[in-house]
Amino acid sequence: MHIPENYLSPSTCAITTAAMLPVWGCAIKRVREDVPQEKLPLLGVAAAFCFLSMMFNIPLPGGTTGHAVCGTLVAILFGPWAAVIVVSVALAVQAFFFGDGGILAFGANCLNMAFILPMVGYSLYTLLKRHLKGERGELVSAAIASYLALNAAALAAALEFGIQPALFHDAAGNALYCPYPLSVSVPAMLLGHLTVAGFAEAGFTVGILAFLRSTAPSFGLTEKNEPSGKTSVAIFSLLAVLIAACPLGLLATGDAWGEWGLEDLSVQVGYTPAGMDGGWEWSALLPDYAVGSLPAWLGYVLSAVIGVSLLVIIFRVAGALAKPRPSFD
Amino acid sequence: MPKLEKQGQLPSWLTQEEHYQPTNDRDGFIARSALSISSALARLRLDGGAETPLSPSAPVKLLLALACLLLVSLARNYLFVLIVLAGVLVRACLLPRAALLRVVTTSLSAALLALVIMLPAILLGQPHSALGIAGKTLTCSGIAMETALSTPPAELTGALRKLGMPNVLIMTLDLTLKSIVRLGEVALEALSALRLRSVGRNQHKDLSMGGIGGVVLLKAAEAAQQTHDAMRCRGFTGSYDMPHSWRPRAIDLVWLCLLAVLLAIFCYLQGLIAP
Repeated sequence: MHIPENYLSPSTCAITTAAMLPVWGCAIKRVREDVPQEKLPLLGVAAAFCFLSMMFNIPLPGGTTGHAVCGTLVAILFGPWAAVIVVSVALAVQAFFFGDGGILAFGANCLNMAFILPMVGYSLYTLLKRHLKGERGELVSAAIASYLALNAAALAAALEFGIQPALFHDAAGNALYCPYPLSVSVPAMLLGHLTVAGFAEAGFTVGILAFLRSTAPSFGLTEKNEPSGKTSVAIFSLLAVLIAACPLGLLATGDAWGEWGLEDLSVQVGYTPAGMDGGWEWSALLPDYAVGSLPAWLGYVLSAVIGVSLLVIIFRVAGALAKPRPSFD
Repeated sequence: MPKLEKQGQLPSWLTQEEHYQPTNDRDGFIARSALSISSALARLRLDGGAETPLSPSAPVKLLLALACLLLVSLARNYLFVLIVLAGVLVRACLLPRAALLRVVTTSLSAALLALVIMLPAILLGQPHSALGIAGKTLTCSGIAMETALSTPPAELTGALRKLGMPNVLIMTLDLTLKSIVRLGEVALEALSALRLRSVGRNQHKDLSMGGIGGVVLLKAAEAAQQTHDAMRCRGFTGSYDMPHSWRPRAIDLVWLCLLAVLLAIFCYLQGLIAP
């Protein structure tokens, strides 16, 4: 679901980024008001969960791959506005350091995965939770909400891909950017996400939520006290297990839909879209989570360690730099 | 002696009304110096590292840090720097908040400075060499800061002796570490005194810096001499003897094994041994 560089026209990228600017502004304001300063570092751990869940590639029908995002999970734990910030920062680290998702398409990717996904997921979760009571009801609500939210985000990405050939094409009718129209992009994206990736998102969300509720109930905004040492050990153990298991994501070979290289795309459609040929490319430090000549699985683990550590450090530093708010309770 | 007009009256010079208005002076120079010394002192007093069961003992930690610094500096393969950087980032995640801030700000500043110095390389079409140097600087600064912040000074001097450093070097370091905070306070007091005594416009404040420096130097010499005398009175013969009972712990052996693995990776990536 990470839209790469040059698949969207520069004007589409500009509009989606402009649309996200007030969202980010509002999210920062709401996080400063709603999330206590001592809980800010936990957002880094939540971002690490998002980052790792996006590394588990799952084979989808049609030979492509997909992944979970865990945006609904973060929205349930810390609120939807915190989820906007958390998923945006995780996407930024993926784009800048690992070349996963384009820099120009960063606004579009954030619109889909950091705004639409957590907002839809959290709204559905609160709606369902009113009718489904108890601990089991919470998990069922989280599962349904996360499944539908991922599909909503996939639909948004499919629409962004699909409008490109209609809006941007040359005199011969050849697309300048993404060559697949809505009639192809929407079914292709939704088929994989409705059948497999949505269930993976629900599985990740419910699994991690159940684990956190039983072993680390203070991880989130429901309890005011800071996580104890035992809680921290449980959370970091879960992160370590996920890092160790992330090479499983390499078992799914093939690219995600809409994330092919230019050569592969040219072979598929029979021509090279003019706007994509010679377009701007960001040279990431560790492209595609691969580290030089290291075996793919080792490179994947090393990338996961670097990504998770960076996210934890970014949010801990942000928490330390945030101005303390006096409490008059 | 002033001449009195009559017995019991005030002297004439005392009865005259004063119209002296000292001109306003900018004391930003003193304030900035005082502030920077205060912040440096606050940083020196920082006790960043709480020892965990997984921490190696101080000599092993110092050995690990020195080996990592050497290997990162010698590495021609950027992959090795990335592997060490991953370890540095993981350690930074576990530091207390204040220590983490210092590691991040210092390391990033050093890396940025390296990038600026290497700017001509980027302009001449060699961005990789500039990024390589900046990455190495970031990693090395991170290693040095994390080691310094997570090891108490007394353990650091003990570790240096264990690694065979000369006694004179350790004594100099020991005395410096012990008296640097006190000397900072002396400098701060001297600056406050200068600020209080500086009435009116003073165009030559920089000349006073020499005085403050001199006072601090004299105090430093005095403090070092007194500390050294006190140490001799308590039986110090000039040599730092380590207790023979020190033995590596089990966790130290694990860390040394990790260092051996790192060395093997370094040799492999440098092409010193066949794959």
